[in-house]
Amino acid sequence: MTQAMALVDVNNFYVSCERAFDPRLEGRPVVVLSNNDGCVVARSPEAKALGLRTGTPWFQLAPQASAWGLVARSSNYELYGDMSARVMELLGRWGTWQQVYSIDECFLGLTGTPEQVLETGRRIRAAVQRNLGLPVCVGIAPTKTLAKFANHVAKNNPDDERIGGVFSVSARPRAVEALMSGLPATEVWGVGRKTGERLDRLGIRTIAELRASDPAWIRSRFSVVLERTVLELNGTPSVPDVDEHAGPTQVIFSRSFSRPVTAADEMDDVMNVYAQRAAARLAMQGQQARMVTVTAGTSRFTGPDGSVSRAVALSRATADPVTITRSAVRAMRSVLTEGVPYTRAGVMLTGLEPAGTAQEMLAGFGDQEPDRHLEAVLERVRGRFGGTSIGLGQGGLSEQGSWTMRREFASPQYTTRFSDLPVVRA
Amino acid sequence: MSIPQPGASGRGPASGSAAQQAPRAHGFPSPARDYLDGGIDLNRELVRDRTSTFLMRVAGNAMAASGIRDGDELVVDRAATPRHGSVVVAVLDGELVVRRMVFDGTVPGLAVDAPPAALGSHTRSAAGPGTVILESDDGAAPVVLPAAGPEGLRVWGVATYCLHRL
Repeated sequence: MTQAMALVDVNNFYVSCERAFDPRLEGRPVVVLSNNDGCVVARSPEAKALGLRTGTPWFQLAPQASAWGLVARSSNYELYGDMSARVMELLGRWGTWQQVYSIDECFLGLTGTPEQVLETGRRIRAAVQRNLGLPVCVGIAPTKTLAKFANHVAKNNPDDERIGGVFSVSARPRAVEALMSGLPATEVWGVGRKTGERLDRLGIRTIAELRASDPAWIRSRFSVVLERTVLELNGTPSVPDVDEHAGPTQVIFSRSFSRPVTAADEMDDVMNVYAQRAAARLAMQGQQARMVTVTAGTSRFTGPDGSVSRAVALSRATADPVTITRSAVRAMRSVLTEGVPYTRAGVMLTGLEPAGTAQEMLAGFGDQEPDRHLEAVLERVRGRFGGTSIGLGQGGLSEQGSWTMRREFASPQYTTRFSDLPVVRA
Repeated sequence: MSIPQPGASGRGPASGSAAQQAPRAHGFPSPARDYLDGGIDLNRELVRDRTSTFLMRVAGNAMAASGIRDGDELVVDRAATPRHGSVVVAVLDGELVVRRMVFDGTVPGLAVDAPPAALGSHTRSAAGPGTVILESDDGAAPVVLPAAGPEGLRVWGVATYCLHRL
């Protein structure tokens, strides 16, 4: 019996969600566009094969689209959020613990012999395909960093039948050795371009070379973070159960608690603080978000796993901390079970875009406690005069306006709106 | 009184080597759940597994004899196994269509508007390449079986309920 973990993520998540309900999109190049149909944020394998890059403005592609047979879809965060919640619920049934890492990926704790764990990985992949029609890759390893690496191997070898979307580090030690010697260190989770350049100057170019480095030396030359990476590459779990990162595609704020949180009221407070932090980070990098995802989990040491997650689409992209916080609190309320001892929680913001004309930054919300009185007053006014009667800045106000999102190629909200159900011909 | 939790429906990881990772009830049993008697929850009654269940809207009346009419909503379970006589959502020419599944031996096919009773006795007749046409001896609508193509017959899900507005 060994403890292992899997990193499971959905291939080309947004495109795969669109395809799950529209078979015409199969086998042809498909791209999903950012908010307001600005640029490419997701590509089908066929679109990648055409050489289309993420971030390319749609107006540059539109003239050739019909010649290429290229189909564009506007971001449908209502659909992606619902599919994400289904994926995470299904995956959560398989793990001894679950840590949702983004809208389309999570870590799962697995127990068993290496062969059993590999078989579990294959079943997980089949289950997501069967229940949701979504393709996933599974990377299995003793540490998160290695699980990320294993997932990368599974993803980049789609035609290797021995892998078949599921790669386990412990099941294929010799293959791992060869792969690590052939891949640059920057392919490792958390090793950025700048660190890669510094490593390169020290003669550390491949993953294998990074793995063989002395952790203490790495710590003195670089950081404790990179030391942990080296330890993780060698099979020692070292990445703390804390995550705070902000990038062009998502902002995460997640933490373990010093003691379990069992009361829903207390979890409201947690969500308030975490969402404010995430929103502050979002505003700091000049972005706004279209979707808020909340997660909470228990520890295998404190009780049975009760991992929950929920993604909600905002009516439009915003950086407004009040809107984001309120969404996070409500989303968490809707999924948590009172009395379960949660030991960690997180808030994720996705569907990011640069804050433009519809920007709604509010100064002074940074790290301070949310203004509950203000919230309460707003709620009372809304209760009396309707949901769009009052708001902070532009946040929370009526959706209609000159900044209303452009969604020219939007698919229906198949799973979240009764009038938008997929049509089946009889 | 104990009410099963929605996340822990019987379905989930299969037994065998992965048995130790079988699905668990989510969290500790909540005291709140023990006196949950707020009426009938149709989600609970009609949805076997909420991760795999989707609603769809029917367009057309080709399945009217099976009680499925234009504008009705179907509850569709992607994870259910289609059997002889199951009403399924299949992918035909890039489109989602509702049909009744029939097996000619081991060859799966899709029937238009053939109630289960008519599926028992069919005689095979001439057909174009790639299709077999079965005609039932009671004069019911012909059954068209797309012969397994490169991808075979693709079943999207199994319809488990039809919601019909009166």
